[in-house]
Amino acid sequence: MNTTDRQDIRVAVVLLVAAAALPLLASSRYAIGQLTLFCIWALVAVQWNLVFGVSGIFSMAQLAVFGCAGYAAALLVLHAGLPFPLAAVLACLIAGAFGLVIGLAAFRLRGPYVALLTLAVAQALLVLVLTDTGCFTRQGASCLPFTGGARGLSEYGDFGFGAWLPYRHAPLGNYFAALLALAAGTAFAFWLIRSPAGLAFRALRDNPVLAAGRGVDRLRYQLVVFTASSVFTGLAGVLYAAHVRVMGPNVLGLGTLLMVLAMLVVGGLGHRWGPLLGAGLILAIDEVLRELPEWRGTVLGLVLVLSTLLLPSGLAGLRWPLRRARPAAEGREARPPLSGVPGA
Amino acid sequence: MEVLVQILASGLTLGAMYAVASAGLCVAWGSLNLLNMAHGALLALGGYAAYAVSTHLGTPLAMSVLLAVAAGAAAGVLLQVCVVKPLTRRPNYEVNAIVATVGVGFIVENLILKVFGAYPMKQPGEFGAGWTVAGVHVPASSVLILASGAAVLLLLSWFMDRTRQGRAIRAVSQHREAARLMGVPVDTVFLCVMALAGALSAASGVMLSLVTTLSPAVGHDPMLKAFIVCVLAGLGHLRGTLVTAFAIGLLEAWIQYALGVRFALPVLLLLVIAALVWRPTGLFGRQEVVRL
Repeated sequence: MNTTDRQDIRVAVVLLVAAAALPLLASSRYAIGQLTLFCIWALVAVQWNLVFGVSGIFSMAQLAVFGCAGYAAALLVLHAGLPFPLAAVLACLIAGAFGLVIGLAAFRLRGPYVALLTLAVAQALLVLVLTDTGCFTRQGASCLPFTGGARGLSEYGDFGFGAWLPYRHAPLGNYFAALLALAAGTAFAFWLIRSPAGLAFRALRDNPVLAAGRGVDRLRYQLVVFTASSVFTGLAGVLYAAHVRVMGPNVLGLGTLLMVLAMLVVGGLGHRWGPLLGAGLILAIDEVLRELPEWRGTVLGLVLVLSTLLLPSGLAGLRWPLRRARPAAEGREARPPLSGVPGA
Repeated sequence: MEVLVQILASGLTLGAMYAVASAGLCVAWGSLNLLNMAHGALLALGGYAAYAVSTHLGTPLAMSVLLAVAAGAAAGVLLQVCVVKPLTRRPNYEVNAIVATVGVGFIVENLILKVFGAYPMKQPGEFGAGWTVAGVHVPASSVLILASGAAVLLLLSWFMDRTRQGRAIRAVSQHREAARLMGVPVDTVFLCVMALAGALSAASGVMLSLVTTLSPAVGHDPMLKAFIVCVLAGLGHLRGTLVTAFAIGLLEAWIQYALGVRFALPVLLLLVIAALVWRPTGLFGRQEVVRL
């Protein structure tokens, strides 16, 4: 453990304590709901960063995995009658398996081919859900297609924190669950960046020929990372399903993809702290634009374009005053690999 | 027999649309290594430009199409100058370009939404009832699309094969540095490529708007199909892309007939993935010498 690690841990502990204390300051239902959403989207961004920024897999299927888990949990409750917590655990595993299958299909291809294929998979899922109109079962008086179709799924329950907590504090259950998941996902990401897998990706990026010559197997590490991060992304999807209480096709759409991508890029692709910073900034922008919903898409797009053009390594890549004092820390940054794929 | 004619008719119409749409993506990838995610938005832009011109200025269809194509070309040039060019000199160009064009596409779509609204619109103009071939009704719009698609593709291949500018584009896609050393003005060629790509997307947008209604997201599905076509053919291989576009169009028409419309994309995707596992650089792509 070196100085950077110790500094990271200190920052993480401070952030965690601050996040846990935040509901004391902002205790309205709305504020806690937004904080919960922040934790969920930040978890997705952290995992996507691990896949895209650190391991160089240009996957556009991150939200497909997210949606897959949320839908899996809702479907298991509605059609198989499982209790929600059990369905949630299964859904995370399903998300992992889904990631593994996508990985096996896509990773034989090179950078841009991977992006296109994963995007196509995500869109195919969206189309399948949207065009699902057949009657599968009945929910009350109305007809429910297998995936809920364009209307989405609802009334599948949640983790049941409401039963334990006093009514006024019920939203805190979801918030702390999401915060815990975010902490676990971030810890996993940090651990992975400094694990042998992280070192392997750094080696593959810095000198692909030498790394391959020394027997570093890119495909194997990429599959492992993609599957593991799919499980965490699935966890985020399940939490989303429990928090929002409606699982609709909008999470699979391009708008959501763009929002999380903007978090990644603004924060700094491949940087450890980037996705957290980015998620904070983008959700803050969202909050400001709450009164002007018709400008939200344009502003998000502008943020994405401008930060690619003007802020190549994101907010986290800016020269913070703290960093200048410690130039040795530079070497440990997982910069995005050249042209998206190590070895290309 | 009737089924066959039906599948042929709708497959060739789809193919013509996909061919024009993928040609725009393909030239941009071939010489600029740019995966233009704003392609769908440019498509929508072309469709709406033709709509706006013909409703507000009352120009005949041919004139509005020309104006729409010009608008598309201008948008392509703008994209190159404002977004793509500043990125080319930096590391990580391919990824940055994809991310930035995703953003541009979203901006354009949202602006279209603001200006024209979300209500689906019909391109003005009537094209007659169509003809009956071997007992199958072929709408006039399909024939129009097929004819204009063929015209665009012939024009494109004449441009690429016979003109000086086309030769320069091909030289740059073969080897950028060698072309530069031979005195090809690479930056001008890039501008020309993006103008061409923009014009082609606008053209395919107008073609699309003849058979469906316009909405800001009208370009999503064709863009996805164009991506599939380009990936299957091998990125940047123009002739292969055109052949693949027609093959995919016919295949899709057949799947729609055999399994139903909603399974067209998933089944197509499965087939494409299988084909790519067999040939990772696409059907026509050169097997690159991989040093790792």
